[in-house]
Amino acid sequence: MKIEHPNRPAPKAEAGTPLLTVDNLAVSYGGIKALKGISLNVNRGEIVAMIGANGAGKTTTLKTIARLLPISSGKINYDGRDLGPVSAESLVEYGVSLVPEGRGIFPNLTVRENLELGAWNHKSKSVIVETEMEVVRLFPRIGERVKQVAGTLSGGEQQMLAIARALMARPAMLLLDEPSLGIAPRLVADIFEAVARIAEAGTTILLVEQNTRLALKYSRRAYVLRTGEIAMSGNSKDLADNEEIKAAYLGG
Amino acid sequence: MPRIVRGVLITALVVVVLIWLESGFGASPGFQTVLPDAAWRQLVLFAMVNVVIALSLNVINGMAGQFSIGHAGFVGIGAYTGALVAGHLHVRLGSGDPQFANSFIVMPLVLLASGTIAALFGLLVGLPSLRLRGDYLAIVTLGFAEIFRLVIATAQTGGTAEGSVAKFLASLGGQNGYAGPEGNGVPQYAGPFWIFGSVIVATLIAWRIKFSGWGRALRALREDEIAASAVGVDPTRYKVVSFVIAAAGAGVAGGLFASMHDGSPTVQPDSFTFVQSFDAITMVILGGSGSVSGAIVGGVFVTVTVKLIEQLQGLESIQAFRADHPSIDLNALRMVVYAAVLIGLMILRPEGLFGEREIFRRKRPKKGGGDPDNNAAQKSQSTQESTQDSENSTPADKESTESASSKQATSETLTTAEGTAS
Repeated sequence: MKIEHPNRPAPKAEAGTPLLTVDNLAVSYGGIKALKGISLNVNRGEIVAMIGANGAGKTTTLKTIARLLPISSGKINYDGRDLGPVSAESLVEYGVSLVPEGRGIFPNLTVRENLELGAWNHKSKSVIVETEMEVVRLFPRIGERVKQVAGTLSGGEQQMLAIARALMARPAMLLLDEPSLGIAPRLVADIFEAVARIAEAGTTILLVEQNTRLALKYSRRAYVLRTGEIAMSGNSKDLADNEEIKAAYLGG
Repeated sequence: MPRIVRGVLITALVVVVLIWLESGFGASPGFQTVLPDAAWRQLVLFAMVNVVIALSLNVINGMAGQFSIGHAGFVGIGAYTGALVAGHLHVRLGSGDPQFANSFIVMPLVLLASGTIAALFGLLVGLPSLRLRGDYLAIVTLGFAEIFRLVIATAQTGGTAEGSVAKFLASLGGQNGYAGPEGNGVPQYAGPFWIFGSVIVATLIAWRIKFSGWGRALRALREDEIAASAVGVDPTRYKVVSFVIAAAGAGVAGGLFASMHDGSPTVQPDSFTFVQSFDAITMVILGGSGSVSGAIVGGVFVTVTVKLIEQLQGLESIQAFRADHPSIDLNALRMVVYAAVLIGLMILRPEGLFGEREIFRRKRPKKGGGDPDNNAAQKSQSTQESTQDSENSTPADKESTESASSKQATSETLTTAEGTAS
């Protein structure tokens, strides 16, 4: 699958250089500090995972990067540009697409309408049709159900649709929030295989995932969050072998 | 026949029919030939004004899913604006009976002014309240509509008013209503031509909004605001502009209402209370939130039901019953009957008569895909879909024909009842 975006940095030439840099990011909900200085970076073409327990701040971090939450302090830099003043709805123009937690599809619209909304930032009909074909090749189940009302899809199919819709914008970077949440295990594997293929095609992925085993299996690097701070980070393989991680997140 | 020629012919035919309704081409006006009873003519025109109100409210409440409960306020602004413009133009045109020919000068200006002023107030109300997520709009619109009404209703009338604002408000007649600059009634220029014409135009606009990229963005916003902004839909912009469109539509409806044929010669603040706002919401929800057809049917249904219950009270048997049982407050019972009808409908069809569907289905533009396998899959899917569709649409169609026939039946019983009464 080939995904191109006008804003997209050339993937192969500069592979391995940082695309997203988060520097000492702090976020508060009212008086409660949800993030107490998170620093991370995602290189071009990588899958990077954020893992951790409930309430560790994974989704908050992702939502803040997606500009859905205001920044208290710190910087988010994407491809040399500061995302601080960018609004959520214009982020897609920068080449960043969010797949919201809990799937966030439009349940009363048809699958095709969902996909077409994903291509909201593209005006060219031929680009939209072409992208839809590429996306459908990646998720054949979605292709079979284009005329169905999205709310009638199974949970796994809805998650596929959410990812497919995000891909319709032809993003350079995908922000995935808990793609395995509430989905049958067999479909979870399908979804992660698709995510791996999206990354192989050159799209950079930042993944938030509660399923630590899966997240570490499919990502190259990972950050472990604990109460709003990064407790550990490193190559996913090393983290999977780490005794502390095993004990805390992988059930021994 | 090319589409353009067909379009022109249909438009010409519609215009001729509308002019016939209004002027009758020298003979007696077509509308009076069709409906000799002035009360029924008034009811039909009033229903059409309500349809415009429902169509406009449907844009913000139904399509965008933002709960506005002060729609009557915008109708009121439109009505007062329209009455002022029509009244002053009428004096300029030499007073007398409103002529159909003159209405081509008066009504465009009335509708333009009513729509524009209401839209401006819509922007004023919508901009701050729609930036926030949640139900702030409901509170703000409700408050706004009441403020508007009370400012007019409680204005000091008589000669004591000082300052230009107070003088202007005093000239609107306070609680007694505005009766034109000379106090002899707002000229009634809006006949069937303008009212039916506005309904047609409003329907076309609503239809265009629903089936455009704009409509899809609104539906996306209604379903999931975060997801909508994640794909690049600017929530504030779409919500505010839709709200302004809805306010403008309400203003136009108000302009029509103020100068409606056979309507009230004064514009009164009590025509724009919370009850009217609530009726408008009922029309939209009853017809089916987001459905253009539903807004039309809902507008007619609510108007006719309310009137019908009023008319039924005039029946001899009911009057006799009232004389026998003075302790029963039939006037209060009217609202009970109305509420019962609404509750019954909501139990039978909680999504409204139409849901989000329409009577006519829009033809989808065919898409050429290169992948033959995929196309085949789509084709088989589409045949499945079409059978499913027909299954889906039949109950709705049945419903609409049913309700139409039952309405006809009730109107027949009503005329016969009137016949016996008189």
